[in-house]
Amino acid sequence: MSWAAHDLEPYAIQRHSRVKIAFVPLLLGSYSPDMMSKWFVYGIHIGGFKLKAADPVTFHRGWPGLGFTHSLLYGVVIAFIFWRVFGSKTWAVSFLIGQWAHAITDTGDTVGTMLFFPWTIHIHFGAWAYAGQTGRLTDAAAYFSGPGALWDLVWIVYGIFSWRVLTRSYFEHHVFTADRFWGSASRIFPVTALLVLYRAAFFYGTSRWIAWSLWAHAIHHYPYDLTWGGPHWVNAAHSESLSWPEVAGVCAIVAAGVAVVAAWRLGFVRRGWAAARAKT
Amino acid sequence: MPSKRQLTVAAGYVAAAAAYIAIGVAYTDFLFSFFVALAYLLVVAWLVPAAVRRVL
Repeated sequence: MSWAAHDLEPYAIQRHSRVKIAFVPLLLGSYSPDMMSKWFVYGIHIGGFKLKAADPVTFHRGWPGLGFTHSLLYGVVIAFIFWRVFGSKTWAVSFLIGQWAHAITDTGDTVGTMLFFPWTIHIHFGAWAYAGQTGRLTDAAAYFSGPGALWDLVWIVYGIFSWRVLTRSYFEHHVFTADRFWGSASRIFPVTALLVLYRAAFFYGTSRWIAWSLWAHAIHHYPYDLTWGGPHWVNAAHSESLSWPEVAGVCAIVAAGVAVVAAWRLGFVRRGWAAARAKT
Repeated sequence: MPSKRQLTVAAGYVAAAAAYIAIGVAYTDFLFSFFVALAYLLVVAWLVPAAVRRVL
């Protein structure tokens, strides 16, 4: 799993997107896959009881479990609900991009995600160790000792170089105007407060990256292991490697997706839809 | 390059981050929730400065 990347990616997407993006659903999409599951993966105490998944890895990323929240299809379904129920295509597209960014980012660890659910194979690159099942403190120590910490650092450095996205003028001219949410909120709160709200995820991601790194290495002296799949001192969970037929299937799905996007950009699909609409 | 005003604002956020990090390292529960960070930031970057401006 990734930590600060999910806080920081929305700012990079916001800056580079060529389509109209609303920041709130973008961030919501980026957080949504873990919203329902993370607390149960680590376990929480309520009264005298501890609630924790019997198999945290399967619960978080697998099936049966809530692993489908890390799939591309989940993003499409929730985006469709945003579109049809709330009537906002911008919110739908923004949520979809944020959720897909999360699902794809989490393929970087040793468990990966069921990206093409209901096909339940796990797409995983194994760059950093998945250690959610070890508890939240060990997970934090492991994540901020391995390549995952470097991955997050890339987004922090990129964010600092893109500092203009955090300025008041960028917020007022690009973020505020792209989404009616901010206009409605400004009737209750001053723009200064909304600007703080906009910057909060960047503040959170960057600050906790520094805090966890200090906690893991200056206070507790966990060893760094930046090798592929590290740190290897933690008992990481792993998914099985894909078989050749599975790899071929994944390639076929990706190729089909690329072909659809290419056809869309060339106008074939749009013209086809327009012709179908004209007939009805 | 950022303007002087933008650098002043950034310095305020860095100071807020330093306090947040110090609290978080001491009490790690503080680091787990985005909503805790959001509430903290709203207090230190909006409510407190607004209250100070009103008093002054």
